[in-house]
Amino acid sequence: MDNNELFRHFQISASGLHAERTRMQVIAKNIANAQVTRMADGSGPYRRKEVVFAHVMGRALGLEGRADVPGGVRVEGVVEADDEGPLVYRPGHPDADENGNVRMPNVDVSGQMVDLLMASRAYEANLNSIRAFQEMMRQTLGIGRQ
Amino acid sequence: MSSVENELELMGKLLDVAALRHRVIAGNLSNVNTPNYRRYEVKFEEMFNDAMKDGEIARAKDVQPRVIQDEDSPVREDGNNVTLEREVGDLMKNSLYFETLTHLLTKKISGIRNAISGRA
Repeated sequence: MDNNELFRHFQISASGLHAERTRMQVIAKNIANAQVTRMADGSGPYRRKEVVFAHVMGRALGLEGRADVPGGVRVEGVVEADDEGPLVYRPGHPDADENGNVRMPNVDVSGQMVDLLMASRAYEANLNSIRAFQEMMRQTLGIGRQ
Repeated sequence: MSSVENELELMGKLLDVAALRHRVIAGNLSNVNTPNYRRYEVKFEEMFNDAMKDGEIARAKDVQPRVIQDEDSPVREDGNNVTLEREVGDLMKNSLYFETLTHLLTKKISGIRNAISGRA
């Protein structure tokens, strides 16, 4: 079954599902750490993580006949965003500097929520594609049935 | 080759094209958030219809679908030009088209079966 060209459709959509789910996980991590001013190793505030996607051509998936067709998506990696977070005046905070300012993480929670919505819609779209293909296969099997 | 065989072969070809198109759309959907990705599309119907206009089924059978990259659609800030709505719409259209073809093919085959068995 694995070598069957026909069932590669599922693999393409599955790669999309995987990518979007990774994105949702990273967003969850960002939101959970939105107020973290000190990492476990003692370094500065938490830095926002971003997922990097790259697209894969059919050849990489072993689609020999159709190497020119897109073959899905791959999570290239998770990188740290290096922009600075806001300075918040909070004297008495253990991580405050001499002026009483605390460097907060560079996580914009509302922006993360928007990304989360987009990721979940994209997840749904990939799921729809799998469903549609399932239905198409069922119909193909029904050809010629009385 | 008889006309019946020709027709069956032609419909099989159309089904193949619909399956290829589904794959291309699935690829676009899975890359909806990939920076600098340009959507792919299948070009087939125009060439096919041109060939069919001449009434030459043999020529229409030789038309091959082409997968091309769409550079004309508006590109988002991240260099990607996939629109979720458009792809999902195309997906639905394509699956309905596929369903129509399978129904037609089923009818055709049962017609042939009736002709062979002599039953109405």
